[in-house]
Amino acid sequence: MSNAHSKTQAATPAGQKDRRRDHMPLVRHAILIGWALIIMFPIFWMLQTSFKDSGEWVTWPPNWLPQDPTLKNYQQIFTFDVSGSGVAREATDQPFSIWGSLRDSLIICTLSSLIALFMGTFLAYSISRFNVGGKKFRHMVLLVRMIPPIVIAIPLLMYYAVLIPFATEAVFGARISLFDTRIGMSILYLTVTLPFVIWMMLSFVDEVPYTLEHAARIMGAGRMYTLRKVVLPLVASGMVVTFLFVFILNWAEFLLALTLTHPDVSTLPVLLNKFQSASEGRLYGPQAAIGTVITIPVVILGIAIQKHLVKGFSFGMLRR
Amino acid sequence: MARIGIKNLVKEFGSFTAVKGINLEINDGEFLIMVGPSGCGKTTTLNMISGLVMPSSGEISIGENDVTHTEPGERGLGMVFQDLALFPHMSVFENIAFGLRVKNTSEQEVKDRVQQAAEAMHIEQLLSKRPGQCSGGEAQRVALARTIVTNPSVYLMDEPLSSLDAKLRIDMRTELKGLHERLSGTFVYVTHDQAEAMTMADRIVVMNGGEIEQLGGPLDIYRKPATRFVAGFFGMPTMNFLDGEIAAVDGAPMFVTDGIKAPLEGDLPANLSGRKATLGVRSEHVLATEAENGGKVSLIEPLGDATLVYFDYGGPTRLVSKVDPDRLFAPGDDLTFAFDANNCHLFDADNGARLN
Ligand SMILES: Nc1ncnc2c1ncn2[C@@H]1O[C@H](COP(=O)(O)OP(=O)(O)OP(=O)(O)O)[C@@H](O)[C@H]1O
Ligand SMILES: [Mg+2]
Repeated sequence: MSNAHSKTQAATPAGQKDRRRDHMPLVRHAILIGWALIIMFPIFWMLQTSFKDSGEWVTWPPNWLPQDPTLKNYQQIFTFDVSGSGVAREATDQPFSIWGSLRDSLIICTLSSLIALFMGTFLAYSISRFNVGGKKFRHMVLLVRMIPPIVIAIPLLMYYAVLIPFATEAVFGARISLFDTRIGMSILYLTVTLPFVIWMMLSFVDEVPYTLEHAARIMGAGRMYTLRKVVLPLVASGMVVTFLFVFILNWAEFLLALTLTHPDVSTLPVLLNKFQSASEGRLYGPQAAIGTVITIPVVILGIAIQKHLVKGFSFGMLRR
Repeated sequence: MARIGIKNLVKEFGSFTAVKGINLEINDGEFLIMVGPSGCGKTTTLNMISGLVMPSSGEISIGENDVTHTEPGERGLGMVFQDLALFPHMSVFENIAFGLRVKNTSEQEVKDRVQQAAEAMHIEQLLSKRPGQCSGGEAQRVALARTIVTNPSVYLMDEPLSSLDAKLRIDMRTELKGLHERLSGTFVYVTHDQAEAMTMADRIVVMNGGEIEQLGGPLDIYRKPATRFVAGFFGMPTMNFLDGEIAAVDGAPMFVTDGIKAPLEGDLPANLSGRKATLGVRSEHVLATEAENGGKVSLIEPLGDATLVYFDYGGPTRLVSKVDPDRLFAPGDDLTFAFDANNCHLFDADNGARLN
């Protein structure tokens, strides 16, 4: 396609869109603002609850903003040293602070997402270029994801807590248990998110015209050199987007973590769930504070890679 | 030395045979153009020379070496692709430097050679741009610069001009021809544009259905097409074809159909009389003069330096004659015409092979 040609083609639809925008800016903005409010409300509620003391958590009619803003909730989750501040609230049976969980979550999610991204990108490349797994494989990649996690949670528990320790002891004489370990959770998350990575990266790798690889090959570049210098840079934005997506999946995963850890390892969603007590029920304040803390890294990550998000989600970026 | 030898080259895709046993010798320094309709196997053949496609059987040699199983990067080739295949994420400089960097060339030499190649293609001012910021013609030059920078002895080009607009395409033809003279490399060039082939080639290979129909110089092919297919493929407007019979009238061979009689000259094989055949005549050899064949003008196309006159003669097709632009015809006019007997092409009615 000649350049001039593509420019004229691009000009027409854009022009049409402009005209439509002129016609009904009010309607458009009203709808968008309404939708934004619906989306933002739970976040707002979480945020303001995190600054409320226990008396205000479940009042009726609700307090839209804390009457008496307090940092007690944050104090409690970060230090659990509540003796001085008078916030003596029990969370389950043991006292715990967020630090351990923050570390567990960060290590598990970063490790598993990075490895999944690395493996998934190369797998996607081989599926895209060599039809590895057969022509239909690309459509079946997500099949594993169709199984509800609850179905595999208990069988996995059997493997992690019983079968693997038993088998390793029998074979190697040393008991290796994946239950309640960071490495166990990382392997699990890697397995669960790899299909997503493959599936997403496939669409990016497919976009890279293979004449680019042919050109590199004719100029004497080997497969790895071509991957490094041509293919990976072109799918880099896609990799960033995929990483974010998978990281969030892992960051928020609850059910499997709840089943396969306790008491040593505890990811943030599991920790959040532990903040309830026998006498007071759910401790909404600390839970909201944890929710806020969990959300912040994701938001920061999203802002940091905004440039890539735009690029990565606009498929067809390679057209000249 | 970059003579290319191709022996019994076959490529099968599953049960479909795209290239059906091609034999071809390409001379050192030659500008060879492969031309043919879409799907005839041009790209497949070129890609087998480049090594991007493995032949099902047959041999390819470049110079003295059998390269049939050699990696593409080790065949000493440069290739320009139809979509140019410039790396969109690299600057023009890095694009041109790619082939040098692969071979771990020193930084100073990379600079010098990229500079030289850029100068040769007149794109020094583009070096810091991205390919996406170049116009179609500029991108074309970048692709050529990237190819010449490694000094290959063989240049393969797959419809490199097809993405350009008509005017630029014609300018680039001249440029490519000049480049070929300067570089003294062997050029193998694929196109489906017969005019491109005629203007640039030392020799032309006409392919059809995975086979070579004819191999020869541009004028040979134009003047003595070996098959009806080749005759119809070359020349604008398309050659006139009439289906009829060869007869001997008063001992002189004559082509007869639908009230038209055309005397034939030259040495015809003796036993042709009574045989069904197709007569091919180019528009410039349909002479609108005083003659016994008559027709009625249906359409006029002035070209400026000549005028095309389309007319009905009573047969199933329409004929076209190229006349002097000063001769004025209008649709509906009667005209008489004759065929230039020295420039009549006779083809077998069944297999299309040339008879005279
Ligand atoms: N990888 C492939 N798998 C199956 N069939 C193929 C493959 N590559 C080419 N073909 C078939 O082989 C035939 C020749 O293809 P080729 O690309 O060589 O044609 P071409 O002469 O270059 O045509 P064009 O002028 O359209 O580029 C076509 O019918 C095509 O469908
Ligand atoms: Mg082709």
